[in-house]
Amino acid sequence: MSTVSRAADRIESVPFLTRDDASLLLVLPGLFVFSAFMLFPVFYLLGISFTNAEPANLFAGEGVVAVLTFGDALFVGLENYADVLTDGQFWNSFGVTWLFVATSVTLKIGASLAIALVVTSDLVRGKRVLRSLIIFPMGLPPIFTITVWRGIFSSAEFGLMNQLLTAFGASSVAWLSGRWTAFVAYNVTEAWLAYPFMVIITVSALQDVPEELHEAAVVDGAGFLARFAHITLPSIKRPVLFASILTSAASFQQFLIPFVFNQGGPARANELIVVYGYREALSFQQYGRGAAISIIALVFIGAFMWLNVKKGKLADGVND
Amino acid sequence: MLLGAIARKLGDDIKTFATMPARTVRKWSYTVQAVRRGELPASEVLKVILSTIGATLVVLALLFPIYWILMAALSGSGSSLYTSESFSLLPSNPTIKPFIWVIGDLIVPSYSISAAIPFTDLAFVFQTPGIEILDASDYGVDRPSEFKRFLWNSLMVAIPTVLIAMSLIVPAAYALSRRKFLFRRKILFLYVLMTQVGGGLGVALLIGMYALYVQFGINDSKLALAVYYAATAVPFNTWLLKTYMDGIPVSYEEAAVVDGAPPWRVVTEVIIPMSTAGLATVFIFVFLTGWTEFVVAQTLLGTENYTLPVGLYAMVDEYSIPWARFSAFALTFASPIMLAYLFAQRYIEGGLSFSGMEG
Repeated sequence: MSTVSRAADRIESVPFLTRDDASLLLVLPGLFVFSAFMLFPVFYLLGISFTNAEPANLFAGEGVVAVLTFGDALFVGLENYADVLTDGQFWNSFGVTWLFVATSVTLKIGASLAIALVVTSDLVRGKRVLRSLIIFPMGLPPIFTITVWRGIFSSAEFGLMNQLLTAFGASSVAWLSGRWTAFVAYNVTEAWLAYPFMVIITVSALQDVPEELHEAAVVDGAGFLARFAHITLPSIKRPVLFASILTSAASFQQFLIPFVFNQGGPARANELIVVYGYREALSFQQYGRGAAISIIALVFIGAFMWLNVKKGKLADGVND
Repeated sequence: MLLGAIARKLGDDIKTFATMPARTVRKWSYTVQAVRRGELPASEVLKVILSTIGATLVVLALLFPIYWILMAALSGSGSSLYTSESFSLLPSNPTIKPFIWVIGDLIVPSYSISAAIPFTDLAFVFQTPGIEILDASDYGVDRPSEFKRFLWNSLMVAIPTVLIAMSLIVPAAYALSRRKFLFRRKILFLYVLMTQVGGGLGVALLIGMYALYVQFGINDSKLALAVYYAATAVPFNTWLLKTYMDGIPVSYEEAAVVDGAPPWRVVTEVIIPMSTAGLATVFIFVFLTGWTEFVVAQTLLGTENYTLPVGLYAMVDEYSIPWARFSAFALTFASPIMLAYLFAQRYIEGGLSFSGMEG
């Protein structure tokens, strides 16, 4: 008899547990590693946010004791939070983040739906090739593509975007030095980064739309737009909603684009919330403040996720 | 066995790809004949041609940034893209110098092996020949990049990441898909919740994590980084694989059980082979996590241990980017993944279909 089934027998002898509960043992290692590396730092972060930690005092001392006492950092209560919440810089970052979520998600869904419709159209030949090409950017490291986009939006006369503008007779723009032009650049880049994922999911949803429905609608004289609104959209709503939720969470946590483009500039105007927390801590050495900002961001991310799972019925699959 | 199946499918893919032009030509000639015979209205054909051209243009426009950067690498004209001439579709004087700069010398130095015969003064000395595959200085590149060191570091991070993550994910996905046990729904719920958290949470946590890692003295350890990557990969990929395994009919397992197969054989002979697509998808996702992650690696690792993405970004200056070298570096770094991606695409599409999401 193998050890596994012996363990299962032993578990069976415990009241309240059934033989199948031994399967929990298969899940626990993953859960444990995940908790150790994701949940524990959350608590630690929470701890730091109540202290006046900075590198000089936080890293004083070594070993487990120093970890638990946060080095020599002092407990300051809610001071960091009060500080952050009365800071205009924070509210600016907070507002820009939500604006970015709204605009970039709209852009991503619109663009991806359009692309998905193009590469699944009956009128197009060679769809498989087009589709393999289309997800190409997904295999590229984000740090690379984002730096390339920084070059595209380069303020110099000969950045690609400016070349395009001058080709159409417009004058060139210093993209990353203006607040809103930089914001537009963030959005375009984010949409480009996210489209392969969105398109994959939308395409497989589109392929599941029953052909007969479209044929019946064509017989009834429905045009393309009517069919799109009454047949295609309702059928692909759930997967697309799911992809949108994932992608809006990604937008909320966007870090690399502002960081690589102009450090959330110009003059810290476009620091999305994650960038803001990071910079406070690791660029300006205010660990306590940075931790408080991160915790606030986490609360919002958490609430957002919770709402999505509840309202978006993401966990439906869990119930079966 | 699993690898054999993958290799066979890959062979099929290559064959399909190679015969594609012939098949396309044949299809077109059929169409032309059908139009000539009057079976197919010419306007219909024209519509198809125009739409195909339109769709191709859309796709090409989307991929244009990659093409642009490839041209920058090949033209290698100098330190920046912002030359006075405007962009042209083909490089004016193509060169592979930037790529040579990236790869650097590929020289296996000669070793001398001596074997002494015991109790005598005799000794044999072998001199292995030095193998010179590529000598960068032949191409006028004096100080090649540190690509090889970064590559080694990246492999030392990505391989443990995959090993650890797969050994955590596969059993858990199987259990969650096939067994009913205590806390099953709670764990799934947590995983679905955490699925939405990409690298961003990692950045939000970075302060706490950085402080912890420094205090435990593991902030410059590649293995610690690998475990972290594996941990972040657990929720999404477990859930993905679980969803995929849900799509495998239970009847196959029942048949195996009826034939007297022990549980572990049911897993190795039925579940694993039938979830190849899901496994391949998860494998690629996990590998990419370790291979391309930047922020955490940059914060935690010291210069000696820089991985490829960090090494790449280290080339970026505040005001100027050495585009030719930068893109040659990045393309060398990304091309194996892109190839793997192209071939694994059918698996990824299959694995990402979220069959459990509908209804």
